[in-house]
Amino acid sequence: MRLTSGFFIGLMIAVALGSVAATVWLWPRFASQRPAMMASRLGLITASQALVLAAVLAFVNGYFAFFGSWSALFGNGGSAPVTVSGVAASSRPIVVTGSDLGPVPGGSALPEDANGRLASKPPHFKGKDTSPSNVAVAPGLDLEGGAVAAARKVGKVLQMTVTGSRTGIVSAANYVYLPPQYFQPAYAHVRFPVVLALTGYPNDTWSIVRWLDLPSTAANLVARGKIGPAVYVMMNVSVALPRDTECTNVPEGPQAETFLAQDVPQAVEHTFRVQTGRSGWSVLGYSTGGYCAAKLAMMYPYQFTSAVSLAGYYTALQDSTTGSLYGGSTAFRDENNLNWRLKHLPAPPVSVLVTSSLVGEHDLAGTLAFLHMIHSPMHGYSLLVKQGGHNYRTWVRQLPQSLEWLSQRLTPAVAPGQPGP
Amino acid sequence: MAVVALVTAAALAAILWFWPRLAGRGVAPVVARIGALCVLQLSVLGLIFLIVNGSAEFYSSWSDLFGDQSGGGAIVAGPDGHAGTSQNAVSGQALAPVTVLAATAVAVPDRPKEAGGQLQTVRLYGQLSGLSTAGYVYLPPGYRTRGGTALPVTVVVSGDLDSASNPYGAGALAGAAASQIAARRLAPMIIVMLPAEVGQHDQGCLNVPGGTQADLFFTQDLPQIVGSAYRAALPATRRWAAVGDSSGGYCALQLAMTSSETFALAAVPPGGYTAPPGPAESGGSPQIRAQDDLSWLLKHQPMQPISVLFTGRSTGQPFVAAARPPMHVGQTSLPPGKWQLTRVLDWIGSTLQPPAVRS
Repeated sequence: MRLTSGFFIGLMIAVALGSVAATVWLWPRFASQRPAMMASRLGLITASQALVLAAVLAFVNGYFAFFGSWSALFGNGGSAPVTVSGVAASSRPIVVTGSDLGPVPGGSALPEDANGRLASKPPHFKGKDTSPSNVAVAPGLDLEGGAVAAARKVGKVLQMTVTGSRTGIVSAANYVYLPPQYFQPAYAHVRFPVVLALTGYPNDTWSIVRWLDLPSTAANLVARGKIGPAVYVMMNVSVALPRDTECTNVPEGPQAETFLAQDVPQAVEHTFRVQTGRSGWSVLGYSTGGYCAAKLAMMYPYQFTSAVSLAGYYTALQDSTTGSLYGGSTAFRDENNLNWRLKHLPAPPVSVLVTSSLVGEHDLAGTLAFLHMIHSPMHGYSLLVKQGGHNYRTWVRQLPQSLEWLSQRLTPAVAPGQPGP
Repeated sequence: MAVVALVTAAALAAILWFWPRLAGRGVAPVVARIGALCVLQLSVLGLIFLIVNGSAEFYSSWSDLFGDQSGGGAIVAGPDGHAGTSQNAVSGQALAPVTVLAATAVAVPDRPKEAGGQLQTVRLYGQLSGLSTAGYVYLPPGYRTRGGTALPVTVVVSGDLDSASNPYGAGALAGAAASQIAARRLAPMIIVMLPAEVGQHDQGCLNVPGGTQADLFFTQDLPQIVGSAYRAALPATRRWAAVGDSSGGYCALQLAMTSSETFALAAVPPGGYTAPPGPAESGGSPQIRAQDDLSWLLKHQPMQPISVLFTGRSTGQPFVAAARPPMHVGQTSLPPGKWQLTRVLDWIGSTLQPPAVRS
């Protein structure tokens, strides 16, 4: 039974209501003032309250997509692997696990439910689309007639599993948004710039589609001529849920930094028609993903030319959700602290846009401190809104400008015979 | 928050104490029970929401929660943003990636002077690591005149570069390469020769936690330096190799095993490579120290897409026994003498070059 399935959440609600009904029903049996009776009441109340609470948590989790699966919530039994051994040399770094993410009515690139609203849950589509081809999207994935026509109009969102050849990390249920131009004959030989988008922690990657609204925001901006078309690779920032790995190469643990900074770009470059130079790649993220966006760009400036950190932080976090991330070494922890890097290492040649709110974002001071430490050849930019908490509503407001800023720093995809932007 | 906590506690106590009063039959007591439970539940949920929200400030205000906030801000360049200019804002202390201090022709017996190529004495500066090091660069014959194709790159890390007699000295290496290239046994390649320590406390080209970022220098700065100054292949084309002598062997093997995206090949003396040379600089972390054991990496990380040649035969080598595709391990014994590295260069040339290009 899936953690986010309607059946599970419905069952939880039914159990909770049942427990409340039972409490009301059994109430008179515990009506004397003896201590044993008092204890029984307390037990009864606690049980029903806890079950209602669990139902609410299951509902909220399903709604906001914090944890997408039981293994993400509780781990998969084994300790987080340094690697998964036995990764076959010939295995594809990216396997598309869902290409038919729902009907694609005109105007929206995104799956919608029966009522035409944006689907609130990630589709769980198994198996590859192996129908005979008109357009090869990626190795092993082709689109046929009707699907091609739709994709040429609105683009396509694919679900994928990424396997890191260097780290052995396997990250499932991630998404890539290919813009309509990707499928159009004029662009058949054009390589697209890439925006790597990272979730916060804890998150299901679908949150980037559903709550940050990234693909449809990008599609709208492209349609209005504000930005050029790009491929959006949407990845879960956590590679070993439920652990918060903070895109760090954990000593004797998951090599999350290498996975996101090297394995993922290499896999994407081998699979999709995208650019390979640094001027073709940028990284964006919110919250933990914001920290990671800034960190990956600063540590791998020859892979990423620019980064957007929506409400990120700039020091090296370690808490109960992360466990030991730095092998007990304060010096290694320092290396993962972006302020420390700006102070003690040469500034890397990248541009970073940081966003925050003047009211409502408790890391405003840390963000401004980081911004003021940035020095040439690194360039810092800020986008501050008057008010807004640490939530998607705030980031959705900041996203269009952020994408425009990114687009100005990426090598555009220009079809032959068309004027550049 | 304190108010909600008090309300919750009071509701719970009241329910427990006044329980018998609601225990009657009929509609009114049942409705009262449900009402009491609802009040308690709402205060519990409210309390939890406030605690969670307070810890991370997800919603800063009621208007934030219910979506009344709107409007963006403006993007502003930071104090050093230099909006509009690209990354060429020259700072005073910026150093050139390559400074050529001297250049000599490499002689090949019985051949014209230009047939051997050129050996440059250089100083390299890494923009990301901030490390600067002396070194040598060998450019093959025809490098200047023949345009076009980018050349493969071999990085040699040696403890005795300046020696005239050591086979891992710059002169001997350049001579060995020149004679093989002149005899057409080796396709032209660029050889970058660097000392075994490029920075303070650098042991084995690792990043000293919080200190010298030698790994950063080799894996990111060096491709950038060489690519900016020479007609070199991109590392992504898998045409970069690392070679080490007894001092630089750990470095070369470590680079291939942890940065195979840059170094597709390594040729090193046989050994166990369980620890970097010199005193440990692992930031006081047993875990980092464990990872610095290359045989630990061999056991715990996926097989990397690299080829390793051990320049000497020995039994009981963990790498030979444990390597599986896509990692390939071979061993060869070297002939004695100053030119013993010709065999290593031949192996690198034949392994790096795509066969179609060789013929």
